[in-house]
Amino acid sequence: MTTPDDKDHETQARRQALDTAPISLLETIRTQGRVWGDLAAQYGVSNPEPPWKINLDATCDVLGAGSCALPVLERRWEEDELSAELYADVPFPERQLLALAHSMIRRGLVNEDELTRRMAQVDARLKLV
Amino acid sequence: MSDNHKPAPMVDEISDFEVLEIAVRELAIEKGLFSADDHRRWTEYVHSVGPLPAGRLVAKAWLDPEFKKLAVTDGVKASLEVGVDWINSPPTKFGTPSDYCNLRVLEDTPRLKHVVVCTLCSCYPRPILGQSPEWYRTPNYRRRLVRWPRQVLSEFGLQLPEDMEIRVADSNQKTRYIVLPVRPAGTEGWSEDQLAEIVTRDCLIGVAVPKPGRKADDKRHVHPAVHPVHHDH
Repeated sequence: MTTPDDKDHETQARRQALDTAPISLLETIRTQGRVWGDLAAQYGVSNPEPPWKINLDATCDVLGAGSCALPVLERRWEEDELSAELYADVPFPERQLLALAHSMIRRGLVNEDELTRRMAQVDARLKLV
Repeated sequence: MSDNHKPAPMVDEISDFEVLEIAVRELAIEKGLFSADDHRRWTEYVHSVGPLPAGRLVAKAWLDPEFKKLAVTDGVKASLEVGVDWINSPPTKFGTPSDYCNLRVLEDTPRLKHVVVCTLCSCYPRPILGQSPEWYRTPNYRRRLVRWPRQVLSEFGLQLPEDMEIRVADSNQKTRYIVLPVRPAGTEGWSEDQLAEIVTRDCLIGVAVPKPGRKADDKRHVHPAVHPVHHDH
């Protein structure tokens, strides 16, 4: 079992490692994106979680496996910190998604420009009739 | 499709969050951080996890007082003994279904009954209990259980004595719960396998209690109606 002292040390180490400065792309999504709770209410859907949640969970976990590009516990610690400092006004699991993208950008796993471009491509693809 | 069978409502709108999730995943695959097949296998695995490990954990705790102590003080460590590693979960070896590594095992007593809910959304101890049942995710259950637990439990067919205390554990993003029910009378001398069979999913959520001879895969007997309807034919 970890002690409160252990947790303090862990928190300190994380704070030094993670850059929690806002990221422009993610700020746009945070302020303009429509969260599942609102969409579900508008369309009369009762499922409390968006359908993409299972994919997000899988992405989080497979990133912690194999190449161990983003270790599970580190991601979770960073999500805690980002949730408290930057994405506190965003509900779960949208907050989890923003935190994951934030961690990946700060770690150089993806960069903001390519993520912006990819989002535009995905958006266009999904909206094709 | 007939007029009487209307499709269920669905969200007919693409949100930025949905697009972001796909974009992150696609880039990670293109960069070789994981493969699309790994991702698919993981989601398939999550849907295949059931409540058996948690039932086994309870059965072990009933038989071994030392293990029970471990279970109620460190649920994550106790889970290892039933094959569930909350950090590096088999069989895929790449982690649990993204749940925080903090499982609490809530021990019932003859005077205290625990029941689990997630009032915020549908947090659930999936690595050890599988996917949550549909009713667990409904606003009806989530909103009413914390206010009227006795009433809601009675709707599940669980009538508790007035002098029994009920504690509702509200799951959250960090902490997940399962219930360690009281071992029922009539199970003296039973093996771990026999005991594990009567600890069903609903017993582990806390909306039911285990009973000898009541297993999840039992043939479901329906009692004759008290006021049956008589037909002429």
